[in-house]
Amino acid sequence: MLQTNNYSLVLLIQLALLTYDLFVNSFSELLRAAPVIQLVLFIIQDIAILFNVIIILLMLFNTYVFQVGLVSLLLERFRALLLLSALYLGLSISLHCWILVLQSVGCVVSVCKGVESNLRWLDSNHFVWTDGLQALFVFQRLAAVLYYYFYKRTTEYLGDPRLYEDSLWLRNAFARARQ
Amino acid sequence: MPSQDTGDEMPVARTKKRKSRKETNGVEGPEEPGMEMGGMETGGVDSHRHSESREPLTPEPQDMPLQRKKKKKKAQPPVSPDLGADQEGDPVPQPDLVNGEGAEQHTDVEEVTRKTKKKKKPKPAEMHYTNELSVEDEDIVTDVQPPAPQRSLFSAPPGASQPVDKVFVERSRRFQAANRLDMGKASSQVDDFMEMRHLWTTRDVAMRVHSGFRVVGLFSHGFLAGYAVWNIIVVYILSGEELSTLPNLLQQYHPLAYPAQSLLYLLLAISTVSAFDRVNLAKATMAVRGFLTLDPVALASFLYFTALILSLSQQMTSDRIHLYPTANESLWPPGSEHQILQPWIVVNLVVALLVGLAWVFVSTRPELDYTEEFLMAMEVEEYPRLEEKSEIPS
Repeated sequence: MLQTNNYSLVLLIQLALLTYDLFVNSFSELLRAAPVIQLVLFIIQDIAILFNVIIILLMLFNTYVFQVGLVSLLLERFRALLLLSALYLGLSISLHCWILVLQSVGCVVSVCKGVESNLRWLDSNHFVWTDGLQALFVFQRLAAVLYYYFYKRTTEYLGDPRLYEDSLWLRNAFARARQ
Repeated sequence: MPSQDTGDEMPVARTKKRKSRKETNGVEGPEEPGMEMGGMETGGVDSHRHSESREPLTPEPQDMPLQRKKKKKKAQPPVSPDLGADQEGDPVPQPDLVNGEGAEQHTDVEEVTRKTKKKKKPKPAEMHYTNELSVEDEDIVTDVQPPAPQRSLFSAPPGASQPVDKVFVERSRRFQAANRLDMGKASSQVDDFMEMRHLWTTRDVAMRVHSGFRVVGLFSHGFLAGYAVWNIIVVYILSGEELSTLPNLLQQYHPLAYPAQSLLYLLLAISTVSAFDRVNLAKATMAVRGFLTLDPVALASFLYFTALILSLSQQMTSDRIHLYPTANESLWPPGSEHQILQPWIVVNLVVALLVGLAWVFVSTRPELDYTEEFLMAMEVEEYPRLEEKSEIPS
């Protein structure tokens, strides 16, 4: 049985990670004074997404429904979130790599050309946008919003005590699965 | 036996008093209250009489005259009405006052009153708010009159005495009672709260988080609508009539462009998630039904999502505007302002309209939340469905 305190703590952690994710998605473009800031922010963001996925998987494993072996029942319900999380993680990593690589290349190119001083390394105000990057950016941000929605809904849904205890419908579902 | 604190002269006065009492016997009764009311000019006599009555009870050392005086002041008020009543009603007890038995009897009476007093004092503290009024009323009836002149004469009110409490009885009592009530309420509330916390299930926590986020979303809807409208008004004012002063817009607006875009995404993300929550998008049948029946919440979520896409598509242009002061000719070729900025302004206008419209839709039914209903009805709803499913194959 899931304890209320434990659930509250886990919920708090999850929401904190989601809030951080939203913050980075919103303001990371403003915090690009130095590439290293963006690099750290992006790494933490990707790890946060990964953590969130791990936490939700652990919560799923903790359910009584999972422990009696009705994984398909859970997958049927939470498939959307798991797919979206994977998609969002992939898109995020891709976008972060692209942005950072393009910025680094921009810096290197500008330095190699010798057009500007070496301080240009620190100033990463380059126009890095291409059509592909713009498209990826839009998809990543849209996936982020969907991910927030599904993730929040799933965490709230996992607070249902019915998932953590034996019940009639679970027995019925189990009998149905055995047939 | 006689009071030793009144000095050497006092025994004489005391014996005189005794004699006069013996002589007058029952006649002196009416004068007694008058003497008391007359004040403490005859303080020695009064104290003597009182000490006489007290002495069998507690023989006290000579070195504490002041304390004794204070105690007398305290003890006297309850005695005098009783005395008066005895003297008026029944002349027989009067001689008893002179000899020791009478004094003892009187001290018994006094002790009883003091005991009742002592009992009364802790009563309000013990009995929190039951029968508090009646107890205090009794105090008021017995003690109101005598202490007032004495205190005014000596101008040294005994701090802990009952009468002082009673003078300020209305204010202080109400204050104390309120305090006690509050404390009682607070403690009971804390208990209730702890009990509630104890009884809280995980589902209650989830529901609370959900309703909390709905409040944030509600705020976000309104703030986003106002912000988008403000943004587009600023852009149109800076760009002049028929976009004639676009370089001015770029000069003035370029520091704002990227923060504005970031804030717009933040608010749009929160609003979109909140709108999706309201329409319960994950439950496809409910969402489709909402869209088909033109449910305002479903329309709002559609408008928010469209606005989000449009807003995101302008990220590149916003960055271009942001880099305007440091831009070279490849980024902002001369004369290209109109070509680049016009779509950006139009898209921003559309976003502002969509967001404003969505806010209007949401605000028509601010309490509507299908996800909450779904979470609440989860237990009830899924039982029959799953049972039906399980029964069908069998």
